[in-house]
Amino acid sequence: MRFLVVDDSSTMRRIIINTLHKLGHQDVVEAANGREGIDRVTEGPVDLIITDWNMPEMNGIEFIRSLRAMNGQQQVPVLMVTTNAAKDDIVEALRAGVNNYVVKPFTPDTIREKIDAVMAR
Amino acid sequence: MAPSATCADLRPALPMIETLRDCTHAVFATMVGTTLEARTPLGGDALRPRCNVVGTIGFGGSRSGLVVFYATVEAARHITQTLLALETAADPSQAEVADAIGEITNMIAGSFRTRMATDGDLWAISIPTVTMGSDFYITPLTDGRRTLLPFRMQDHELFVELVITTRTSRT
Ligand SMILES: [Mg+2]
Repeated sequence: MRFLVVDDSSTMRRIIINTLHKLGHQDVVEAANGREGIDRVTEGPVDLIITDWNMPEMNGIEFIRSLRAMNGQQQVPVLMVTTNAAKDDIVEALRAGVNNYVVKPFTPDTIREKIDAVMAR
Repeated sequence: MAPSATCADLRPALPMIETLRDCTHAVFATMVGTTLEARTPLGGDALRPRCNVVGTIGFGGSRSGLVVFYATVEAARHITQTLLALETAADPSQAEVADAIGEITNMIAGSFRTRMATDGDLWAISIPTVTMGSDFYITPLTDGRRTLLPFRMQDHELFVELVITTRTSRT
């Protein structure tokens, strides 16, 4: 199972990747913004995407919209990890094609539960 | 609609300050595993923190301004080591420290934006910028009203500042 972690902060990518490793998932590719995320998906299939919202170049919402418009990418599960958690934010993210949501700051348990939930879909 | 710019009070309201303080506590408790000790907020330019690592995020909407996070190099290193789960002896690189402080600033300012959101009033927020150097003072770039929130993290002093630059009247 291959994971894609998209975040402009290398710190946040490391926190998420450390969590994935602890859950036994070693196959992880990274991207620093939405545009790089699209590049990773084009290079080879990924099974689950964890993405930030606020990023330069291409933000998480634009990334998911572009992803969902790609051939064969309508079903890949997407977990969004962001501080943007107002009601209007969540509506916008769900409309763009996000499957589940982790609000920053988060506990290790929360992100583990959300990863499990999005994988069980 | 009558503009009220001439008599606009740019002082951050107390609930804003309390919300920002709560967000800072939550970020450190959850992500750094540290309980911060909050000190009395300071208004205006009474104190300019002497800190070497400064993260800044702008926000804009019905209110605009900045959230600024200040740490010493030692405090910023400690925060970085904890976030990256590094050994205490491992020295994080300057790039790692800058990124970690940028993300701490992002989480504080971003959760503050979410908590301040009301129906139909959602602020935009910028990408963090981080400045690192030795013994520099941050000079105010804007005419906004400033409130400085001092915190203690073990032996380290940290500051979070709220700068409000605009206010539009809401009826
Ligand atoms: Mg980000």
